[in-house]
Amino acid sequence: MFYFPQLSSGATGQFPITRQRSARTVVNQSWQGYQVKLADPGAAITDWHLSFAEMSDQELAALEALFQAVEGRLTPFTFLDPADNLLAWSEQQSQAVWQAGPLLTLTGGVTDPMGGTAAYQVSNPTAATLTLQQSINAPASLDYCLSVYARSDQSTQVWLVRGSATEAQAIGPVWTRLTSAGQLQDTADSISFGIALDPGATVDIFGIQAEAQTAASLYKQTAETGGVYPNARFRDDALTITTVGPSRHSCELDIVNVEYL
Amino acid sequence: MFPTLKTGAVMQYPAKRTLQFNTDAIRFLDGTEQRFRDNPSVLHRWTIQLDLLDESELAALDEFFVSNQGRFGSFSFTDPWDGTTYPNCSLGADTFGFQLRGEMRGKTTLIVCENRT
Repeated sequence: MFYFPQLSSGATGQFPITRQRSARTVVNQSWQGYQVKLADPGAAITDWHLSFAEMSDQELAALEALFQAVEGRLTPFTFLDPADNLLAWSEQQSQAVWQAGPLLTLTGGVTDPMGGTAAYQVSNPTAATLTLQQSINAPASLDYCLSVYARSDQSTQVWLVRGSATEAQAIGPVWTRLTSAGQLQDTADSISFGIALDPGATVDIFGIQAEAQTAASLYKQTAETGGVYPNARFRDDALTITTVGPSRHSCELDIVNVEYL
Repeated sequence: MFPTLKTGAVMQYPAKRTLQFNTDAIRFLDGTEQRFRDNPSVLHRWTIQLDLLDESELAALDEFFVSNQGRFGSFSFTDPWDGTTYPNCSLGADTFGFQLRGEMRGKTTLIVCENRT
């Protein structure tokens, strides 16, 4: 599995980052200005322009290794969007992408910390620890940060599940953003993120987010797609690197994700 | 509904609004003209330039673009100048891009067009 490497800081990109989405709509317009439209979702394209400065020899070697392995724009690789939440349906835990433990109850429409009603109440009425998690097709060996807003009427704890790592964090009646970050010694091609509840626990959760970096950024809502792009490619067959000193490299590159290729 | 910023605003300055008529003019040999309207009424178009957005605000706009599939979808849009709600509007382009120059320093532009109903 080819994947875009992280920098030694754990980040996938540096500022500025530019992302553009393109859709295709066929429009038939009448003389009077009325329009008949037809969507073509298969033609959607997402592209990123990334600029890297002050890269070390190791960081450059990882990038060059990927570029050579995929032979420029020939072969796809997995790209984790540095400006997005990797999890799909971040505000709809009832969707099929979320795997809930048996008998775990989910109730939507709960007041969230942003003033809306997009939070979920999750209850574990059983005598065993139950999980609510989502698996993404991304290498488990990268740096990740999982974050979620949580509260509970009683003082209790929530387990944050980040692959094989689980971390208990205490919560109370006030919304708190919990985070779990780090790198796993795991070579799997997929990783799961979510929460686990102790027996009898009832917790309100909102804004669950996973990012391929070492700390949480502001929460980003997602729908049917998260920020994992398994069909990304370099846009160009050339990679130009500028070196201004020992272990001081810079480059700019474009990545494109086209669904129909 | 078109997403609002965290301040509750839809647009930032400089804000641009266009009123579009469609008039046909036929000029005769003697110099006189006959004009008639091709469209029954005016159409509105708003150019929304946004700067210093945070990642959540950009994500909401991105999600809105994806859910509308670019120009395909329609939604209601409230004109921030006069509060009039136009029930049938679409995005004006099949592309949506943004630039993040740093944390909470996102920049983007969107165009909203009123559709003929």
